[in-house]
Amino acid sequence: MYALEVRNLTKTFGSIKAVDNVSFSIPEGAVFGLIGRNGAGKTTTIRMMMNIYLPDSGEVFLQGSKIGQEFKDMVGYLPEERGLYKKMKVLETLLFFAELKGKKGRAVEKKANEYLERFQLADRKNAKVEDLSKGNQQKVQFITTILHDPEFIILDEPFSGLDPINTNILKEIILELKKQGKVIIFSTHLMDFAEKMCDHITMIDKGKLILNGPLAEIKSKYSQRNVSINYKGNISFLDSNPIIEKIEDYGNSTGIKVKEPEHVQQLLKLLVDNNINVTKFNANEISLQEIFVELAGDGLENNSGMEVKYV
Amino acid sequence: MFNRRSLSIMKRELREKVLSRGFLLMTLLIPLIFVGLIFFQMYLLNYDSNSTASLKIISESDQITNSVRNEFNKLPIVETKSYVITYSTMTKSDFQSQLPGFQKDLLNDKLTGLIYIPLTADSNKLVDYYSKNPNNNSLFNKIKSPINKALINIHFAGKDISDKEISYASENVDFNGYRVSTGKNIKAEGEGNQILSFVFSFLLYLSLILSGTMIMRSVIQEKNNKIVEVLLSSVNSKELMTGKIIGAGLTSIAQMTIWLIPLMLVISTSWFVLPQDLIMDITLFQVFYVLLNFFIGLITFLGLFATVGSIFDNDQDAQSSIWPLMMLLIIPFYIAISMQNNPEGMIGIVASMFPFASIIVMPARMALVDIPGWQFFTAVIVNIATMLLIFPLAGKIYRVGILMSGKKPSWAEVLRWFRYKY
Repeated sequence: MYALEVRNLTKTFGSIKAVDNVSFSIPEGAVFGLIGRNGAGKTTTIRMMMNIYLPDSGEVFLQGSKIGQEFKDMVGYLPEERGLYKKMKVLETLLFFAELKGKKGRAVEKKANEYLERFQLADRKNAKVEDLSKGNQQKVQFITTILHDPEFIILDEPFSGLDPINTNILKEIILELKKQGKVIIFSTHLMDFAEKMCDHITMIDKGKLILNGPLAEIKSKYSQRNVSINYKGNISFLDSNPIIEKIEDYGNSTGIKVKEPEHVQQLLKLLVDNNINVTKFNANEISLQEIFVELAGDGLENNSGMEVKYV
Repeated sequence: MFNRRSLSIMKRELREKVLSRGFLLMTLLIPLIFVGLIFFQMYLLNYDSNSTASLKIISESDQITNSVRNEFNKLPIVETKSYVITYSTMTKSDFQSQLPGFQKDLLNDKLTGLIYIPLTADSNKLVDYYSKNPNNNSLFNKIKSPINKALINIHFAGKDISDKEISYASENVDFNGYRVSTGKNIKAEGEGNQILSFVFSFLLYLSLILSGTMIMRSVIQEKNNKIVEVLLSSVNSKELMTGKIIGAGLTSIAQMTIWLIPLMLVISTSWFVLPQDLIMDITLFQVFYVLLNFFIGLITFLGLFATVGSIFDNDQDAQSSIWPLMMLLIIPFYIAISMQNNPEGMIGIVASMFPFASIIVMPARMALVDIPGWQFFTAVIVNIATMLLIFPLAGKIYRVGILMSGKKPSWAEVLRWFRYKY
């Protein structure tokens, strides 16, 4: 069973369709990446998952049943636009947000102190939030997200504004949470970050789902037609060849896209037959960034009726 | 609607407000400012009575001149020389010809006023007054009576009427006010209840404005600091709004109770002895009624202020759009103050049961006259009905508004929010 299932979510604001019939599923224990450029509909989707917005249509299921208020208690949400009460003290802030989730008492306070210790904020626990640096406020905000020990952790661009050391502490904690079997959902427009952290990916563009599935499968499917070569010689004869879809010269190397996966072998043969000195032939390389550009790049602008691809 | 989560929100609001220095200061300072204002007003009145004037009284006959001088010399303000008066006698035509000569003195304040008492005043009591400021009521009030007495003395002289009767004739009528009400003895009425009526109007008005603005700011701040999205990942907008409003409402009701404690002590104990003139005729029940009616109305107002706060994302925009709401407070306040002259007038009666207005007008009216039970009851019912009517609408705008940011929405856009499915 899926931990969380999103079915046919649609949300319109006035004449803008922010989210258009989006469905995806998040398996138990997944590190899930909801990716897309700014304004693609990620935050709106998350807000609907969190019951902050009511969808125009569609539903969200938690372990098979429709989500309600109890879901909010199981979630830790770090929105992209962060905010804390500036006049409140650090520890007070942490306890308040935990209390909203139904957690209070000694145990929570102890845990709060532990996290503060870990983020080197223990000596600031009675400082007012407004007296902390931006980075420290970020850390406090992150602790509020996980202090109540949520089953689901939704992080919207979690590393923006953090220095490398704190980014590492954060990554460590996220990995720990993953080991504890928590579901972690990242929303980000940074593709290489998603590529490193996530095992499942959903890509949204202009409110529409354009890609969805386990990262490994997605990559292997898209890499099947992509070849990266280094060579000496003239390959212009390939331009008119029917198996070639696209050739892009990156300077150091050249990316060639063939029309079908089985064309890769034919391409290699063609190069050899034409006496091209191939120094490198890599048939399995594609970054998430390239997939994203391919799916949501300029082509999409002209062809908004593009079909949603499922893997 | 009110649950564990609203409770947490409410507790935070209370902690933030009641424990703040601002709250303590306000709660203590307002009564002090109030007492200060009363003293200031008394000082102003006093100052006015000490003001000086130099007058020239010209009469058409020596008889009048002497009689007038006689009366004025009895006045304390003349004895203390704060009013300097010179007297002379001349005929009407002489006076007319000399009048331009006085112009300079009048214009450079050497002379405050010039009074001409013609012989005809004996029959029609009309006296001429020449001055830069010919409508000086405070001066008229002081010189009316001696001139009147002087004229009466002349009029009745030699008519075989005793001085005692002349003195009676020259006295003005004075009113002793008695409060008539059901089930109680008829009691002499001092100024106490008028002051009380003003105190009620002022405190209620002030408290509504303060707490309204405060909750509006707090909503804007949450929106502005982007806390609202974090909050909404734990609570829904109704729980948030309820918690905030009840928190702010309890703060204000606590403050109002503190302000009214001296009054309650005056009523229910004999620790304080007020001068006869200031005795207040009010019951503890009425004070509790004021608090109850205030609380219901307050909740409605807080809801509206919170809603306005949710529409805008900065104080300036909100301030410039809050005037319709302010009118709902200012108009009742003026009705309450001006009603003192006639609390049983149509406007007073209707306003004391009208939505929004009753919160301020009813207590102000209650202090002045006995209110029939059904009017008390109606005011509360109307207030509850208003609250129930307003909250679903306010809640809807609030829900949409708190997540809106960017440019200032127009009222038409806000109306469109009602159709949003949120």
